[in-house]
Amino acid sequence: MTDVTEHTAARPKADFLHRFSVRDAGTLIGLVVILAVFGALVPGFFAERNLINILQQSSINACLALGMTLVIISGGIDLSVGPTAALSAVISASMLVAGVPFPLAIAAGFAIGLVCGLLNGVLVAYVGLQPFIVTLGTLSTYRALALIYTGGNPVLGLPAGFRAIFNGSLFGLPLAVVIVAVVALVAWITLKKTPFGEYLLAVGGNEEAAYIAGVPIARTKIAAYMISGLLAALAAQILIGRLGAAEPILGNLWELDAIAAAAIGGASLMGGKGSVVGTILGAVILGTMRNGLTLMNVQSFYQLLATGLIILAAMLIDRVTRGRG
Amino acid sequence: MSVITRLKFEGISKEFPAVRALCDVSFSVGAGEIHGLLGENGAGKSTLLRILSGVYRPTAGSVLIDGRPVTLNNPVAARAAGVAMIHQELQQVPHLSVAQNMFLGHPLTRGGIFVARREQERRAAEALAAIDPTIDPAAPLGSLKVAQRQIVEIARALLDRARIVAMDEPTSSLTPSEFSRLAEVIAGLARDGVAVVYVSHKLDEVFGICQRATIMRDGVVVDCVNLAQVSEKAVVSMMVGRELAQEQHRSHASSEVTLSVRGLASAIKVRDVSFDLHRGEVLGVAGLVGSGRTELLRLLAGADRASSGAIEIDGKAIKLSSPRDAIAAGIGLVPEERKREGIVPLRSISSNMALASMGVFAPRGVIDHARLKRVAAEKMKRVNLRPFLLDRPIRLFSGGNQQKAIIGRWLAAGTRILLFDEPTRGIDVGAKAEIYRLIEELAAEGHSVIVVSSELPEVIRLADRVLVMRDGTVAAELGRADLSEQAIAAHAIPQTEAKAGTARHAGV
Repeated sequence: MTDVTEHTAARPKADFLHRFSVRDAGTLIGLVVILAVFGALVPGFFAERNLINILQQSSINACLALGMTLVIISGGIDLSVGPTAALSAVISASMLVAGVPFPLAIAAGFAIGLVCGLLNGVLVAYVGLQPFIVTLGTLSTYRALALIYTGGNPVLGLPAGFRAIFNGSLFGLPLAVVIVAVVALVAWITLKKTPFGEYLLAVGGNEEAAYIAGVPIARTKIAAYMISGLLAALAAQILIGRLGAAEPILGNLWELDAIAAAAIGGASLMGGKGSVVGTILGAVILGTMRNGLTLMNVQSFYQLLATGLIILAAMLIDRVTRGRG
Repeated sequence: MSVITRLKFEGISKEFPAVRALCDVSFSVGAGEIHGLLGENGAGKSTLLRILSGVYRPTAGSVLIDGRPVTLNNPVAARAAGVAMIHQELQQVPHLSVAQNMFLGHPLTRGGIFVARREQERRAAEALAAIDPTIDPAAPLGSLKVAQRQIVEIARALLDRARIVAMDEPTSSLTPSEFSRLAEVIAGLARDGVAVVYVSHKLDEVFGICQRATIMRDGVVVDCVNLAQVSEKAVVSMMVGRELAQEQHRSHASSEVTLSVRGLASAIKVRDVSFDLHRGEVLGVAGLVGSGRTELLRLLAGADRASSGAIEIDGKAIKLSSPRDAIAAGIGLVPEERKREGIVPLRSISSNMALASMGVFAPRGVIDHARLKRVAAEKMKRVNLRPFLLDRPIRLFSGGNQQKAIIGRWLAAGTRILLFDEPTRGIDVGAKAEIYRLIEELAAEGHSVIVVSSELPEVIRLADRVLVMRDGTVAAELGRADLSEQAIAAHAIPQTEAKAGTARHAGV
């Protein structure tokens, strides 16, 4: 290696590019291509309203996918996000209907999310069960609890004041989008700039080595699942605010969209790898596909097909270009 | 020596997009010859073996078997041509039986549909009978010891009627008696006219069982030597391309006790271990594989829990229930299996270094990257990381440089007691000397060091004092004056094995 000095000297200039990883750039290019195609095919696709629409439609999935990304990086998976959201939604909703103050009802919903995540995390980290199986079990359990609690009926008639919170807007953007943007920023800082982020990457990348290096394995994993639960609860609040009602079957198959967004964004289901920027782009890609295809009046069967193909294409590109990011 | 040339490499070159891995490599191996292939990591040995076993195709040149050029486009073709490859990390399926593993990829069938299990087991037993009849072909492979699995691989080669057997570091985890058994089996293969290509880092082994050896460096053949006529030292300098200074041992041990262990025992293996470690001392721990050395280090590193015993650091009793406790007490482990227990492969050198001292780099919860960068640069300069690319994923570095980064990790964490488990396993000769020098410098700076090693020359080179372990406890303590390979072996080997294994290979 004779070019060592050159290498180090060239670093500062490339710092920005360096931070924006090759993999994220790939995801961004994918998004740009998809936007361009719809822009050419659908009149009015680039209208400000439609773009904001896309962001709004992507926000709930993005929120879940951020938590999912952290869990996936830690080497796990969280299949229970949909039911966690449902449980959080119906409990918050029934408290709101009963006249409990908004902050308390929302806090209760968040607490439910944290407890659901805590249970997942403890079963994974302390009992040593496989994350897939644990969260498959809690997927049914949490859903059942939501159904039992409501008797299977939706909780209707949420107070208008509560709905107004989540339907408001800030800087011309829907509040939901702003909230998720803030969450994404916090997640990015967490992953890039905190010991917890390093621990997540280390635990998922090589648990045994992380243990020898003194990383608190159990705490790290549990925290990841709790964050995932919390973000599921946040997504639930956004959704019931938008709908004005909470259904116990809310959030069906959310976990799959969240995993898809994380995977498109470069998270490896083997653990140890993933990107907040990538995940957000992944969620927006999925949202754009749905929006564009709906505007083109494409049947939902074909929308499903397109989504599937996008995921596979992203993985294939990933495979071909691996080792460069 | 041998009349027939069984295997011949003719002008083999292999180029990868950015690197030329092999350049005009030619040499031949006779039928019945055990031919050593020596070189540092990156010299091209593995690439050559991959060409022989059909994983890579050469850019130029050809492979001749029994005088005829063969096309080895894939592993199946190589196998059909009579090449059997025995890998360093055994490529077997632990849940399947011995026989199933031996027929993996080309099972015997009845009518092309059903696997003929019985017939497979009978044939496997036949092949095994010649070398190790104690192995049950129906047993799950995972229940076998590494040495026995090695034997299964060889039996598989016999089954395939291989004419060429290539072995990549076959003895990295064998005991002396297991090694001598393997050496016999290899000699048996040679007697049957098989050409054996034997790759190993352990020169004494190569000198023990090979007649000739080809030495490679940077993708070219440096020389092909008759081992009876050269010294180990000459071979090493050919491998490294320069004379390695044989440095003299110097002790930096003080009388101050930093770590004191009394009656330490674990549920797994260790029993009643007591010793003191001094400031600036390098304490060697020798013993056979399975004598409890690694387990002892894991107890001291907090990775496993002790069932009884007391540990004191600087006179203060401490309890180690996790590696975090040990790190807080100033103890750090440089583990034997670097890939499994040492590195986080996808992360950068800096991240790997900082992992054990996040508290230092993030005093207010957010990592101070400028500081991390500064410390990483300083520590990695200290350990002489090459190439000096701190942001590069650690998996892209050689074993020796990965090891340096792990050592840097403990330096950054302010560790005072360093535990090395096989510090130079899988590390080439040049980097080995650097690691030795580093260990000595650390001791000179006042660190206390424990080095567990199977390589007796390594222990003797480094240690101020040696504990010899046997059956989970300290069988003997040898001072610098009493230190010799014979003395260590005499204490390490249980009496029944002492006759079977030779002192020469006591550490292997």
